[in-house]
Amino acid sequence: MIKHFTCVICPIGCEIDVEENGDKVISMKGNKCARGKEFVIQELKEPMRVLTTTVRIKGAEFNMLPVRTDKPIPKRLIPITMEDLAKIEVNAHVKMYKVIVKNIAGTKVNIIATRSM
Amino acid sequence: MKADVTVIGGGPGGLVSALFAKRNGAKKVLILEREDELGGILKQCIHNGFGLELFKKDLTGPEYAERLIDDINKEGVDYMLDTMAIHLSNERTITAVNSKYGVFNIEPKSIVLAMGCRERARGNIVIPGTRPAGIYTAGVAQRFINIDGYLPGKKVVILGSGDIGLIMARRLTLEGAKVKGVYEIMDHPGGLKRNIVQCLNDFDIPLYLSHTVIEIKGKDRVTGVVVAKVDGKMQPIEGTEEFVKCDTLLLSVGLIPENELSKEANIEISSNTKGPVMSETMETTVPGIFSSGNVSVVFDLVDYVAETGVIAGKNAAAFAKEKKENKKFINILPGKNVGILFPHRYSYGDDLILFLRAGKWIERPVNIEIKPLNMKMRRLYTRPNEMIRIKILKDKLLSVKDDITVSIKEVER
Repeated sequence: MIKHFTCVICPIGCEIDVEENGDKVISMKGNKCARGKEFVIQELKEPMRVLTTTVRIKGAEFNMLPVRTDKPIPKRLIPITMEDLAKIEVNAHVKMYKVIVKNIAGTKVNIIATRSM
Repeated sequence: MKADVTVIGGGPGGLVSALFAKRNGAKKVLILEREDELGGILKQCIHNGFGLELFKKDLTGPEYAERLIDDINKEGVDYMLDTMAIHLSNERTITAVNSKYGVFNIEPKSIVLAMGCRERARGNIVIPGTRPAGIYTAGVAQRFINIDGYLPGKKVVILGSGDIGLIMARRLTLEGAKVKGVYEIMDHPGGLKRNIVQCLNDFDIPLYLSHTVIEIKGKDRVTGVVVAKVDGKMQPIEGTEEFVKCDTLLLSVGLIPENELSKEANIEISSNTKGPVMSETMETTVPGIFSSGNVSVVFDLVDYVAETGVIAGKNAAAFAKEKKENKKFINILPGKNVGILFPHRYSYGDDLILFLRAGKWIERPVNIEIKPLNMKMRRLYTRPNEMIRIKILKDKLLSVKDDITVSIKEVER
């Protein structure tokens, strides 16, 4: 099967066509460098993303505290992570980079605050 | 009230300007900020992708802001919050207002403008139809969701594919809204490629190029919009109209530098950049008034905003000390295929950092030519939505007597 990817490693944004057979890459064209190849292989195996979102906060000047994952998580786990975070409310005061949730959705990745509030 | 350097605006441009004024010897540096905390628009830009050039780190907006604010506090820069600058004179007097001092004047030795930019709204693009609730600029919706915790709607159409619109398409989807599509009047996306991929493609949100919204429907609340294809002159094509049901329309249709104060001080405004006419030292046409960040020209990256802040701060501190006026300038002019070009003139005071946008999409190799320097730089392509930065050292420029022209030429095959 031929799949299409736009590489986002650098601003060039190569349009890459890859022919694959389940988990094996048969051929790849359109990538201008080796990093593009790595990107596509990772995208085929398991697309990973840093998730940035907010959680409710009590006793602060604003209603929402911005947070993110401290490492990329599998893209397919983003919806369940959002559901878990919707149930959370933290209390002020929070320091930037404080761990808000440990091991979110069983990923071994933590949710951390991205500002003090 | 006296100060060495006063900075109008406490977003990234203002924070960096103030920091570097202080680090370059200005004793009293004062920031005026109209909101109740420093940081500007970064506070609501909770996504990552900031700081890759300056901090060599992938930061979110709030992290970027907090790093700068920590430095401001460490280095003893003064600031006044909930304080609005309401007038600026070409004699460098700022009139401001807040609840502590009422209306008061500040007479600093030099000033840095850092008012940023604002979003174009429905009135700027004149969409016909009713005037119901549910029409927001993308940045306002971003504030509602990320700071106040309100979802502005459940079924959303986004007009314009600027970066903020793309980021909001993802954000709304994550928070449970349905984004029915992003409609772009141009035949190319307005935002960066990585945002098309990570904000639209990742969530299967369709992007319709060469399309626009021609009518808004609904009495109390938006009930839908009429979209249509456009021709080469961006005019709607009859017979292509389609009704899209939605309760919210987000507008991501460009940004305008906010220069009301600059105009009051009789600072010359450039029709090319929509900000002050500026030199490489970030000085405007009024001596002692400098400018940094998006009030000067709308930048793609906050790191570029910060870079102008470094230069503006340094030179504002120098002016506060010596009050040296530049008299000798050469112009920097856009040539073939160059759209936006910044800054506008060179005063032999500093290295020259050029920021430019291509006037059109060229998806094949080009040379950027800078005359009379005989500089030629090869690039694989040029795209108007990706700003190009070129640094030229002062040594190379000292012998140049004629105006500088920058052009983009396709490489002959």
